Amino acid sequence: MSVVAEALSDTVHSDDGGAKRRRILRKVVSYTILVLFAAFYVGPLLILVAASMKSLPEFFKNPTGLPDSLNFQNFADAWELASFPKFMLNSLIYTTVATALFVIMSIFVAFPIARGYVKGASALLTLYVVALFLPPALIPQFQLILNLGLYNTRQGYILLFLINPIGLIILVNYIKSIPRELDESAAVDGCGYFRFVFSILIPLIRPAIATVTVIHAIGIWNELILATVYLTNDDLYPITRGLIVFEGVYGSDWPKLAAAVLMLMLPMLVLYMFLQRFIISGLTSGAVKG
Amino acid sequence: MAVQQRYLFGTKGQRLFPWLLLLPGLGFYLLIGVGPSLATIVYSFTDATGIKGFPINWVGFENYDDFLFQGARSSDNLDALKRTLIFMALVTTIQFAIGLLMAVLVNQKLRGRLMFRTLFFVPVILGVAVQGLMWKLFLRPGGGPMNDIFGWLGLESQFLAGSNAFYWVIVVQIWANAGFTMVIFLAGMQTIPADLYEAAAVDGARGWQLFRNITWPQLTPAINTNFLLNIVGSLQAWMLFLVLTGYKNGTQVLGYVVYAEAFGGTGTGSFRQGYAAAASVVLFLLVLVLGMAANFVVARRERKYMS
Repeated sequence: MSVVAEALSDTVHSDDGGAKRRRILRKVVSYTILVLFAAFYVGPLLILVAASMKSLPEFFKNPTGLPDSLNFQNFADAWELASFPKFMLNSLIYTTVATALFVIMSIFVAFPIARGYVKGASALLTLYVVALFLPPALIPQFQLILNLGLYNTRQGYILLFLINPIGLIILVNYIKSIPRELDESAAVDGCGYFRFVFSILIPLIRPAIATVTVIHAIGIWNELILATVYLTNDDLYPITRGLIVFEGVYGSDWPKLAAAVLMLMLPMLVLYMFLQRFIISGLTSGAVKG
Repeated sequence: MAVQQRYLFGTKGQRLFPWLLLLPGLGFYLLIGVGPSLATIVYSFTDATGIKGFPINWVGFENYDDFLFQGARSSDNLDALKRTLIFMALVTTIQFAIGLLMAVLVNQKLRGRLMFRTLFFVPVILGVAVQGLMWKLFLRPGGGPMNDIFGWLGLESQFLAGSNAFYWVIVVQIWANAGFTMVIFLAGMQTIPADLYEAAAVDGARGWQLFRNITWPQLTPAINTNFLLNIVGSLQAWMLFLVLTGYKNGTQVLGYVVYAEAFGGTGTGSFRQGYAAAASVVLFLLVLVLGMAANFVVARRERKYMS
């Protein structure tokens, strides 16, 4: 009996040792690969930061290593030369105005669709789902904006960002999870449609609103193609377009360009740190649902 | 699906409120989304230019014929088509594999896994201008960081200025989007019940066997999503080419051809929007056919694993 017990405990013990070794080995391998990946991800960023602090001759002599000193002159220069304040302001206007308009209009589309308060709610929802399977709208959209006389205007540019089928689908799905009894008791208390949406529904669907706001805003902030197609007046450029134009003029002055790129990235990175949850869920929820 | 419900907020005139308030959102969606999307097909049969007030004439299939078979640039276009398929095949497979490996690694109980996850996802939110310029600096030929690294390894390349520029753009494309693939895999892995692993571990399965027999089949929805998204996304991706290489023969993919022909990016200064619309319908059909083929494969996999 005791022999059996001993033998048993022995095998358990040695098995444990093997498992431990395997665990450690797995950890070492995992960390090695992760660090390699991380280098691939951090590398370009670190090089960018280092380059932004070098003078041009210093960069040509030593493009990869650390800078000689912490020198922020390139940031000040790029800020001036690239007309950053102007472009940044434009980007902020486009992003906030278009996002606010889109989100408010979408709530009023999503709510009756989710509840079936309008005829043909299912058909309407389908109309948004099939958007993902339609050809790109780029060229007729251009003709439309041109013929409306909105080419090269702020209004025309903002108009392009008032739609986002995935954002709408996220809202519809979230509103469906809000119990309908709420509508009933509010209606019984004499609450009107408009007031219900504004003072009861909106506070309840804040997480979905946050998600949609964040993904829509990121999309506008990062947009480059539409800014290239629709805006030719540099007073109207958003920051992405401004950066590409800056590259065209000062492209060989890599340290200044690096500083400019970093300044464009910074707001996004800060936003990402604070809103990571909403950003990741927003960017992927459309994908997972669809 | 949305089901018709009794309207609760008042009667008669008040019943119109939902409709009235819905109209602006729906109207814009039809006007600048669905409408133009469908109109792309109509435009592809015309000789539209991007110039205001210029007459637009119906030309039948001429644009398609011109684009694919007859036109001066049709052989370039067929090359672009071929390149689009290569781009898709490489990006889809490599990004799928890297995303899966990342997800497996950061799904373990390792210190710092959240930091790694955050890091791998960062490029996704940066946008093409930042992604592209960052790598343009990194890949500067003749004296740049990557050039130095290549030098240490005894290699040589002109990077984005050289004959392999196309493949360097693929590297950047994967760098920019692998984090997205990873997050979808991670979301899938977190829905796999832990007791499946425990039961298998009791039976003596470990490591690769656990992955092969539990993770992989259980991950089917995430695998399918990523597979489809990667195919469709990489067929339509071209903006990094705009920032990294510009429009030049030897790198352009179909999406870039559409843009360049429509908005004077080819260097000839012409806005051939009917022709470009035809090109975009060709691309759209390619996405549709390959997407449906992928969907077929995916549905079979689902039947195999999920029934």
